Amino acid sequence: MDLHATKAREAVIPTATMADIAFLLIIFFMLTMTFEVDKTRVSLPETVVRMEVPKKAAYISVNEAGQIKVSSGDELSVPVAGSEDVLSFAANVVAKDPGKEFVIKADEDVPYRTVDGIIDALKRANVEVIYLLSRAEAQEGS
Amino acid sequence: MKLSRESKISDEIPTSSMADIAFLLIIYFMITTTFAATQGLDFQLPQDQDETPQVEKEESVLIEIQPSGQLVVDGQPMELDRVLEYLKPKLERNPLKPVIIRPDPSAPYGAMVNVFDELRQAEEKIGLQIRNISIPTQREIEAFWF
Repeated sequence: MDLHATKAREAVIPTATMADIAFLLIIFFMLTMTFEVDKTRVSLPETVVRMEVPKKAAYISVNEAGQIKVSSGDELSVPVAGSEDVLSFAANVVAKDPGKEFVIKADEDVPYRTVDGIIDALKRANVEVIYLLSRAEAQEGS
Repeated sequence: MKLSRESKISDEIPTSSMADIAFLLIIYFMITTTFAATQGLDFQLPQDQDETPQVEKEESVLIEIQPSGQLVVDGQPMELDRVLEYLKPKLERNPLKPVIIRPDPSAPYGAMVNVFDELRQAEEKIGLQIRNISIPTQREIEAFWF
């Protein structure tokens, strides 16, 4: 009887393609990652109509306690005292870039008077377009 | 003479640690990535003009938002989903009918956004676009309204 000698097989897991997959994921994350200039945690109002906010827009955030933070879109947001500070901040930004868009990121429960003061300051600073940041309205049954 | 056998050197590039580095980077990106909200309602602010357009209060539709968030449209309490129905005949007569949103300073900001969002959906819901929506600020109301 002719018996073949059993070949010793090495127990190797092929990992060569793992790096390809991993680098593909890295590229995905690097491309989709956006630098968030304002990290204020707020409960945004829900809307159906939603437009894409320009990437380099200036941010004005208002948290539930009514604290206001501003960012020109290039650096992290900093707290300001009130709407008069928003006016001087917006006037400076508009002086450098007259077409600059502003985003209001306000908590849905904040009293309207705070947002009213901000909108008024932006109007006085000759801002042309503002965006009221929102989250997508939850569909019924979902 | 006894010659030692030449050890066999592998001609493969060691790639086993590459996956470790790559996954380390993936974990870093996954932790630091925040899916920030990047959408919202756009709102065109009126610009300073030589001639300020005068809007007669009687000609416009006034939507007041009470501190509780309830709506009063032209003096009548109304639910949000009835507002467009109320506006439809007025817009059919005058497509440029101005609609003014006037929230109470104590009303929640979310209530104003809900009304603005509803008005922006007019084209889809009633087939008519509301071209003239204004949200005067408290300073403007005090300066020009009364």
